[in-house]
Amino acid sequence: MLLFIIKRLLLIIPIMLAVSFIVFAVLRMGPIDPALAYLLNSRIPPTEEAVKITRDELGLNKPFVQQYVTWLKNAAKLDFGESYTTKRSAFGDLMYYFPTTLKLAGLSMLIVILISVPLGITAAVNRGRIIDKIIKLGSFIGVSAPGFWLGFLLMYLFAVQLQILPPFGDGGPLHYIMPIFTLSFMSIAINTRLTRTSFLEHLNQRSVLYARIAGMNEAKITGKYTLKNSMLPIVTSLGMHFGELIGGAVVVETLFAWPGVGRYVVGSITNHDYPVIQCFMIIMTAIFIIVNLATDIIYAYLNPKIRYGRE
Amino acid sequence: MFKKFFVALLFVCCATVTAHTAENDTLTMAWPVNVGPLNPHLYTPNQMFAQVMVYDSLVRYNGKDVEPALAESWKISADGKTYTFNLRKNVKFSDGTPFNSAAVAKNFEAVMANSARHAWIALVSMIDSWETPDENTFILHLKNPYSITLLELSLPRPFRILAPSGFADNEVNTSKGIKKPVGTGPWVLKETKLGEYDIFVRNENYWGHKPSFSTLKVLVLPDPNSRVVALETGKVDILIGEGSFTVENFVRLSKDNKYITEKSAPRSTNMVALNSNRNATKELAVRQAIMYAVNKEALIKYVLLNQEQIAYQLYNPTLKYCDIGLVPFEYNVKKANDILDQAGWKKSGTYRQKNGLPLELDFHYIGTNPKHKALAEAIQADLMQVGIKLNLRAEENTIFYNLQTNGNFDLIFNKTWGPPFEPGSFTASMRKPSHADYQAQSGLKEKQQIDDTISALIISTDEKDIADKYKYILTTLHNEAVYLPFSYELDMAVYKKGRIQNFKFGEMNTEFMFHEMDLGK
Repeated sequence: MLLFIIKRLLLIIPIMLAVSFIVFAVLRMGPIDPALAYLLNSRIPPTEEAVKITRDELGLNKPFVQQYVTWLKNAAKLDFGESYTTKRSAFGDLMYYFPTTLKLAGLSMLIVILISVPLGITAAVNRGRIIDKIIKLGSFIGVSAPGFWLGFLLMYLFAVQLQILPPFGDGGPLHYIMPIFTLSFMSIAINTRLTRTSFLEHLNQRSVLYARIAGMNEAKITGKYTLKNSMLPIVTSLGMHFGELIGGAVVVETLFAWPGVGRYVVGSITNHDYPVIQCFMIIMTAIFIIVNLATDIIYAYLNPKIRYGRE
Repeated sequence: MFKKFFVALLFVCCATVTAHTAENDTLTMAWPVNVGPLNPHLYTPNQMFAQVMVYDSLVRYNGKDVEPALAESWKISADGKTYTFNLRKNVKFSDGTPFNSAAVAKNFEAVMANSARHAWIALVSMIDSWETPDENTFILHLKNPYSITLLELSLPRPFRILAPSGFADNEVNTSKGIKKPVGTGPWVLKETKLGEYDIFVRNENYWGHKPSFSTLKVLVLPDPNSRVVALETGKVDILIGEGSFTVENFVRLSKDNKYITEKSAPRSTNMVALNSNRNATKELAVRQAIMYAVNKEALIKYVLLNQEQIAYQLYNPTLKYCDIGLVPFEYNVKKANDILDQAGWKKSGTYRQKNGLPLELDFHYIGTNPKHKALAEAIQADLMQVGIKLNLRAEENTIFYNLQTNGNFDLIFNKTWGPPFEPGSFTASMRKPSHADYQAQSGLKEKQQIDDTISALIISTDEKDIADKYKYILTTLHNEAVYLPFSYELDMAVYKKGRIQNFKFGEMNTEFMFHEMDLGK
């Protein structure tokens, strides 16, 4: 297992290199000129001279390979260059904004687990009954409700009309309610359905039938054996949800004015701020690799049949 | 026991009163991003409204011309090449250091050290040298006379004055940054929290009308709808500035008696540029037919919800040199049809054609701009009525501006820069190929003469001569129908009734006059 983890960690390096090259190349292949974007942001008329000067300033006039090698050398020292827009270190800026997003995504993840798993199990054990149907309806609504729509609806109701929740910012526990609910609603819905399906699948297995015949009590069958076995697809799904939550944070951070990385990166994409986009892609790649690794480790823990690194 | 209770009660009361006073001494506004490090000589991420609040220039734009600011008076030599500024005496920067001619010279040196960056302002290429004969006199020598010198000095950047104490140590050039933002303006940047807020406090050394309240807080709220929610929930006091809210929200709040909505005098002109050097718009008849075929009144009423003023000429006639009695192209479908018929464009089904070529044009707009899209669709429908097929092309922002600068368009949205850039600086820019205006005009037989007239105009020192030249340029462009102006954009602001007294707009869309407003409850 340890060998497996070390191997997977070492794999980060070639993956990062490949991702960095692809991102670097794709950004420069398009028809879009970040120098022009900078000038427009600055309200400087984009004359030919102005564009040339800006391209020189941003180092975009150098040959592609030279640009990439220089960037790579600096990136190895965690210097991802200066944001074209903020003129601060791209890595520094992202590190400044990341904790807020991680806090938002982490708390939402917790809420997703705490709500979706019990709801899914409740629906499964009450299959076909009214409670199952209510949960099913809630899940459909959750999957169909876009984050920005839900966010505005909550804001209008609780902040503007009822005035019981603060409309934006990060100032205390009350500030978390609307953003976290908005962010986690869709994941709760998806995960509830998944838990229900997975749980039902395992509930119908022979082992459960034998356990019942053997006289094992129902709570132990459901709570211990079925739950543990049905957790495998849920763990995989949760791993993916974490990425989705970070992605979904863009909407929530913009709506509820949270100074997070999603909002910052969307602004950078609009402004064609290459250093920030490149740095963000590298960080996200690392996060996804680590989350995937963690998922695999949890997998091995939940199902002893799975042992990585052994043939 | 009673004593303790009384002390506690007193403490609570004091705290409440203090909190109330603090709140009543703070105005909160919202802006999509932080104001930046506030380097007066640089661009993004420095926000122009904040640069204007913290720094002054030698002169201030007053809506028509310029008025004294850090320069009390000035004299222009007979040849128009020497400007002698008498600086305001006893002015101090916000940190208490004195303002004098040496400070002005240091700032001009900083701007000129980074002149390539500022090349878009023609004044930069005109400046020859400067001198400071005494503490209160600054003399600027130009290579050639330049009639819009004072207007360009009044711009939000780069000719604003940073205290020498704000420069980085042993540094003349500010292109790599400054030590701290110290100016002579009414406000001082006190604190910035990235992604959250910026706090300005009153400049106690301000030479003009000091702000009546001590603090201005600028919350960072990127989403325009969230900004409106912030206003409605009392988290911000005022929304002001371009793009601060949607027109729909402005209209809604204007009907709510809890809010006051304000509109400025007309600023920039929204228009469509018609390329006289490409496809069917090469023909004057087609361009003129487009002028007559577009129902501007309907655009203003149904698309712009009556929040912009109808425009019939490139520059607002209230601007200096611009009231020249041009005959507007009024909406007239019959006339448009007649012109096209006479020009040989015959109807074949819905659309027209000539010599087998369809009357079909590409109209480019910014795909993420809902106003552009709605206007483009309305114009498309108007032109269909006279048999012109308009293909709408949604573009990414930078690609859109690329099209403007390389001339690959038949029709494209365009906008003037608003005062104090117009008519002077905007007209001067028409000579540069990297502008939609140059490209739109490039097919005109008078183009060379227009450019020569502009070049002569900006170095002219005679008012009548300048007015005559403007008349020639604006009349020619109007008659040649290369612009379809449809609205004069206004600045808008909204605030809670009673919260702000003596509200007024600045003379530029980046000038917010908070220092002249008072706070209510």
